[in-house]
Amino acid sequence: MADINETDARVFIESVTHYFEQITGHAAEIRTAYLASNKLPQFEYTGLIDFSGQFRGSVYFSATSMMAARMLLAMRESDTSNSNLLDIVGEVANTIAGNARKHFGAGLEISTPTTSFGNRVALTSPTRARPFAIELQWQQSEAVVVVDLENNI
Amino acid sequence: MKLLIVDDSSVIRSRIARISNESRLSNLNIIGLAKNGNEAVRICKVMQPDLVTMDLTMPEMDGVSCIAELIGMHPDMNILVISALSDRTTALQALKLGARGFLNKPFSDKQLIDALMEFQGAKE
Repeated sequence: MADINETDARVFIESVTHYFEQITGHAAEIRTAYLASNKLPQFEYTGLIDFSGQFRGSVYFSATSMMAARMLLAMRESDTSNSNLLDIVGEVANTIAGNARKHFGAGLEISTPTTSFGNRVALTSPTRARPFAIELQWQQSEAVVVVDLENNI
Repeated sequence: MKLLIVDDSSVIRSRIARISNESRLSNLNIIGLAKNGNEAVRICKVMQPDLVTMDLTMPEMDGVSCIAELIGMHPDMNILVISALSDRTTALQALKLGARGFLNKPFSDKQLIDALMEFQGAKE
């Protein structure tokens, strides 16, 4: 079972910065990217995609309520209800995972997003001992992308 | 031009609708919003859109199955895939099934308008 490397992880960093730039016109700033060891970072609103096929694991995008609301407003969506805050974090996770197929190929099968609010731990049984965590800031609000991905081959 | 928007994200459905309405494309009329392939097929059995924007990763019936079903019903239907799945294999599969265009997520307002204009130009 081959482990993914730094180049693979960079795909997700580029994908999430591109998302913000494309949708809002303002790139997100990557504050830090690291191998998480203990408790995985997470904020209030989380969207998670599971991987299957030639890979296994998950990726999640987790944002503060302020960031999720500001993203909606940047997209000129005035409805910042709880359901739309959940919807946008699920859509970001879906886009990051889908874009990763350009690098990993169609063998990276992705699920539809599941979303959660609050303190419930998004990733209870990580595939990797140390998933990648990418912390970012955009318009003075915070989010994190956690990549837990392994090659099945 | 009758437009049907298919995407499991309500935020994206609203965004596509908003950009389309603001685009000043002449005679563009949104006839429906569907959150999966099953809903899209049901709508297309009642009214035939000229253009469908189609997400691929959706619950119940995904976009690939839906494209096959819609083209089976209406071979001349214009389908613009709007998806985050950015690998070449997926794009080719959608086009082979009968989709006429592919726009990657995330997309800007201008990219969507340009894509819609291609279809309007083809219809006129």
